[in-house]
Amino acid sequence: MSTSSSSRLYGSVQLRRNRGLGGLYLVVAAFLILYAALFPGILSIGGFSKFTQNWFPLALVTMAQALLMLNGGITLAIGPLVSLGAVIAATTMEGTLGVPGGILAVALVGLAIGAVTGAIVTYLRLPAIIVTLAGSFIIGGVALILLPRPGGFIPDWLSTTLAGHTPVAFLLLVVILVLWKVFLATPLGLGIYAAGDNPVGAFRSGVPVERVKVAAFALSGLLAALTGLFVAAQTGSGDPVIGTPFTLNSIAAAVLGGVGFLGGKGTMRGAICGSLLLSVMINVMFFLGFPPVAQYIAQGLIIVGAVAVPELLGTWRARR
Amino acid sequence: MNIIRSAFRNPPLLTFLLVAFVWIVASFTLHGFGAYGHLRYLIELAAVIGIVAAGQTLVILMGGIDLSVGAVITVTAILLPLISPAWDPTGLAGIVAALGVATAIGLMNGAGAGYLRVPPIIMTLAMATFLQGLLVIIAGGSAVTVSNPAVILLGQARPLGIPSGIVLWLVVSVVVLLLVHRMPIGARFLALGANPLAARLSGVSVTRNTLIVHTLSGFFAGLAGILVLGMNRQGYVGIGDPYLLTSIAAVVLGGTSILGGRGTYAGTIPGAILLVTTTALITVVNASPGWRSIMFGTLILALLLISGREARR
Repeated sequence: MSTSSSSRLYGSVQLRRNRGLGGLYLVVAAFLILYAALFPGILSIGGFSKFTQNWFPLALVTMAQALLMLNGGITLAIGPLVSLGAVIAATTMEGTLGVPGGILAVALVGLAIGAVTGAIVTYLRLPAIIVTLAGSFIIGGVALILLPRPGGFIPDWLSTTLAGHTPVAFLLLVVILVLWKVFLATPLGLGIYAAGDNPVGAFRSGVPVERVKVAAFALSGLLAALTGLFVAAQTGSGDPVIGTPFTLNSIAAAVLGGVGFLGGKGTMRGAICGSLLLSVMINVMFFLGFPPVAQYIAQGLIIVGAVAVPELLGTWRARR
Repeated sequence: MNIIRSAFRNPPLLTFLLVAFVWIVASFTLHGFGAYGHLRYLIELAAVIGIVAAGQTLVILMGGIDLSVGAVITVTAILLPLISPAWDPTGLAGIVAALGVATAIGLMNGAGAGYLRVPPIIMTLAMATFLQGLLVIIAGGSAVTVSNPAVILLGQARPLGIPSGIVLWLVVSVVVLLLVHRMPIGARFLALGANPLAARLSGVSVTRNTLIVHTLSGFFAGLAGILVLGMNRQGYVGIGDPYLLTSIAAVVLGGTSILGGRGTYAGTIPGAILLVTTTALITVVNASPGWRSIMFGTLILALLLISGREARR
């Protein structure tokens, strides 16, 4: 009895959360069908693997960004963190601890940098946008010192495993999404949404708002650094500036997915869809032979459209 | 004691004192730092940041942010040599045209933020992405050399020994300070930044003021672009990129709240000088690019701790 009513409640909550995303799902599906029609190669295992490998880093950084935006924050340090993750992976994997040691080092550095940033933002009460801006200089500088020129060492078998002809990247993404779902079921995970939506209300309901914020920053740092690890495996080396485009792209994808800037508004599934849309779009334009610069123009137009159209529809509906 | 306490309550004064302190210490410890020519050069560099940050201050005071100023500077610097007509020996027509383009970009930002209700951070970010693509198509990625006499004059002339960039900055400063603190429209900007709902209910038009503020930001970014072009004599893709982050940093270091509604351009002025001074000091140390970047970031963080703290919520 009680399980059925709670599951019905869960169902209705999920339905409401999906409602605003219907249009986005349709657009993503349309783009995917267009893509598959233009390039049937995606339907083979190899094509699918390559496609998801292109999408995977963007999906991860979008999660890292959306995590903070849902919490009412923002980070401009995603790109340098990705670079730092790639550089650390490329410099530690030839050490005594080998690949596991490298992965551990990347994860620990990501968590630690995220936690420190979060602590500065939360406990010193400085605006997140400026702290992460200053942090991006520091993190980028560290990456440049560790590895001034692209290079380093990534074992071949790791590159083939992560970025070969098998859909390992896609499976990893599924695992990460499942972990995110599990995390949301914990009080800490729920607190991320609650603290973003209404910090005072969350605080009075017993959510440790400050600790939740630090945790959100730490997780975001972890995701960004792991993205760097994947990018390093993909390219086979470390590059101290390879992450730069990810800062703006992560914000763009999250915004495309309907995540708001004021916290609490939006969903992680929307953000993931946004990153998929951005990735498919870039792929389609690339294969249709658009020059890379036309992609920038289209990207700018689409981001504005994605935000403006639902807003205009809303006001039009309200007026009627 | 009283002076110290009031300084800590007054961010612009605090930032100003900080600049004075750094300058005095650096003049005694570093050979040549305190020379008149060097300090004048620092202020000349700060003028560019200060002019960009004038528009940025207005947008941030209203609760927004302009992420397209870097792109607007680049557009102006590249477009001006290309659109300066040959029949005009003074070069003023080219300047007017380039400023018109910059202002139009700002107007489009404002239209997107005001009519389409796209949040300013997204609208200006998308605009910057858009312009980036357009620029490469127009300029083809190569640098353009300026031959416009008026622009070169702006970059090189020194009436009464003061570089004309600094004169331009002075004019901009006076105009912006008057606009914000002595005119009704400035009060409207501040009201909208402090509490948009209350301001709207009191009859302040959100759309109109958003439009005005973004247009002004585009205009000031264009002005800075022309000044940069005059000082460099060359325009290239990416010339404006450093000014995006420094303009935001200057505003915040001056004690203006990034959330809007509280602050003044009087703080941004020493904020811009402080940033340039910091960069100059880091250059003196002669470190590798990585260390320079780390020092810059750490210094911004440290300065923030002194002057940029948000009120306890």
